[in-house]
Amino acid sequence: MKVLLVDDEKKFATMLAKRLTLRGIDIDFVCTGEAAIAKAGTQSYDVAVLDVKMPGIGGIELERKLKELDPCLKIIFLTGHGSKTDFETGSAEAACYLAKPIQIDELIKILREVTG
Amino acid sequence: MIDRIRRAFGSIWPEFYRQNNQHLDPYFTFTNYRKIWAIGICLLVVTALVPLLVVTIIHYQLLQSSVDSELKLRTERLASNARRAVTYFMEERLNALRFTVNEIAYDQLTDPDHLAEILRNLKLGFGGLTDLSVIANTGAQLAYAGPFNLEGRDYSNQQWFIECQKYHFYVSEIFRGYRDAPHIIIAVKSFRPDGSIFFLRATLETERLIQTLSSYETGAHAEIFLINRSGIVQTPSRFYGDTFQKMSLPVPAYSPRTQVALAEDDQMRSILMGYAYISTQIANTPFILMVIKQKAGMMQVWQQLRSNINWFVGLCTLAILVVIIITCSYMVNKLYRADKAKAEAMALMEQSNQLATIGQLAAGVAHEINNPLALINETAGYVKDLFVLTEQYRRDDELIGYIDDVLDAVERCGTITRQLLGFARKFEVKISKVKLNEAIADVLVFHHKEAAYRNIKVHVNVPEDLPPIETDRGKLQQILVNLVNNAFQAVDNGCILDIQASPAGADKVCIVISDNGCGMPEENLPKIFEPFFTTKEGNKGTGLGLAITYGLVKKLHGDIAVKSKVQEGTTFTITLPIRIQEEII
Repeated sequence: MKVLLVDDEKKFATMLAKRLTLRGIDIDFVCTGEAAIAKAGTQSYDVAVLDVKMPGIGGIELERKLKELDPCLKIIFLTGHGSKTDFETGSAEAACYLAKPIQIDELIKILREVTG
Repeated sequence: MIDRIRRAFGSIWPEFYRQNNQHLDPYFTFTNYRKIWAIGICLLVVTALVPLLVVTIIHYQLLQSSVDSELKLRTERLASNARRAVTYFMEERLNALRFTVNEIAYDQLTDPDHLAEILRNLKLGFGGLTDLSVIANTGAQLAYAGPFNLEGRDYSNQQWFIECQKYHFYVSEIFRGYRDAPHIIIAVKSFRPDGSIFFLRATLETERLIQTLSSYETGAHAEIFLINRSGIVQTPSRFYGDTFQKMSLPVPAYSPRTQVALAEDDQMRSILMGYAYISTQIANTPFILMVIKQKAGMMQVWQQLRSNINWFVGLCTLAILVVIIITCSYMVNKLYRADKAKAEAMALMEQSNQLATIGQLAAGVAHEINNPLALINETAGYVKDLFVLTEQYRRDDELIGYIDDVLDAVERCGTITRQLLGFARKFEVKISKVKLNEAIADVLVFHHKEAAYRNIKVHVNVPEDLPPIETDRGKLQQILVNLVNNAFQAVDNGCILDIQASPAGADKVCIVISDNGCGMPEENLPKIFEPFFTTKEGNKGTGLGLAITYGLVKKLHGDIAVKSKVQEGTTFTITLPIRIQEEII
């Protein structure tokens, strides 16, 4: 399972990436939407874990662009708003929404679920 | 008992008089309803009663003036009539004597038989004569006809005879004379064939005169009598002196006409005094006719009328006062209720605004906190991961415990921030038909175990025929979950939770969730829907549950009310519309 983590909070992304790596998940992380698009253009990922609010390209727009690159890519949103209904994604395709702070076990469980 | 009387008495006072809404005071348009009430009553009383009283006073004055005038006129008329009668009485008899001396020769007049014949004829013709005599210029009685033995009497020293010599015609005052009986002398001066003077004198009975006067109906409070010009009472008077005594009133000043004057008698009673100096065409008389009316007595009818009017005006005033007080109280109470309703609405609105503002603030704060929380969570989680993977620390339970404490604290903070966010959340609305019994049953599924464990009896009473309502099932269930959770936390083991649903009017349903738990103090009730208000000890509650519930109920266009008594329990009543539309949410 190849995971792309995109979050503008670099330290958070670093820590989450390290924890997932410790749990045997192959993960790359970037801190901007642009970097994520560039990364997705060079590599193939099974799941993208996206922060909803980011400077520049936000999570919602990034989802659309990543889907254009890879329609099979599964998307998991992270949000500081507590619930999916706190932002209007306009998308019903996102696999799941997780509220920060997240529980690592729950994230792993969802990652496994979306990748079958 | 005293309290009961006080309560009963207190309930008579209008609602505004018992105004006790300090928490609503800032929202009232008018602050002092008692003052408004008092001013209203004063203005209405002045407006209504002043004209009534002014008209009554004017009416009194007019009536009094009219009665006075009428009384005066009647007195004057009575005095004039009596004067005419007395004048005629005297004049008639003087003229009879005058006719006699002119028609009958002196020789015949001095013949006692003939004189007796004349007396008899005069008695037949006019009446009231007692005797008749012819008196010489010297005062010697020349002839006498009558019942008394007065032949040969000498009147030269008699006052009446001295007066008589001065005039052609003479009328004496009433006096007793030789026979010691009240009588009047009238006399006519005439001449013998030789030119010497003689007098034809007649004595008049006073009874006839008294009868003439008493024939006038004067009533109990008035009388007619004669006095002479010195004020000696000549005919009987009931109030102002005995016959031949000085009248207790002053002698009125001479006037050729009948006069009426207002005066006071010796007992300070107000009287109307009519009087007339009696004077015939051919001779003056010493008599003054007095008509005295005691005003108080004569005004009795008027006084009675005035008393009746006073009663009527008094009752009218009382009725007006009662109507004004009732009307004012009713109107001011209506105004107060309208103002109170407005104040309550404004307070509610402000509470809602406060909730919304706090909610927005809370959401912002929560979102900002979530990111550092996430970092703490991941960093602590990573440190724990490293410890768990490292042989040296894996067995250090104390160290792992510390890390777990940090992670637990983060989780708790995350729960709080999620609730804060939920508080201000714009909910996605999905309208569907919801059967209340099903929604309640779904909620209670989560509480079956706890209810069984704690022996809490849950009674649900939803009528089978209660129609489904069109609302948001998720939010309705969240409302029910919050309230049922609340109730479970409030009740002790073995208590009862009662959930009822029923129609409330044509377009609403009412859900009542009541428990017999610990209840809440009354002073807490206005605050329980405020965010962060909690009575739970320690850090068990976030104080957001009921605030969120309140917001959800409002989102569903419903109302929520709470009643509670300490140690008796709490009842939440939710009223929801049967139908709502998505666009209005």
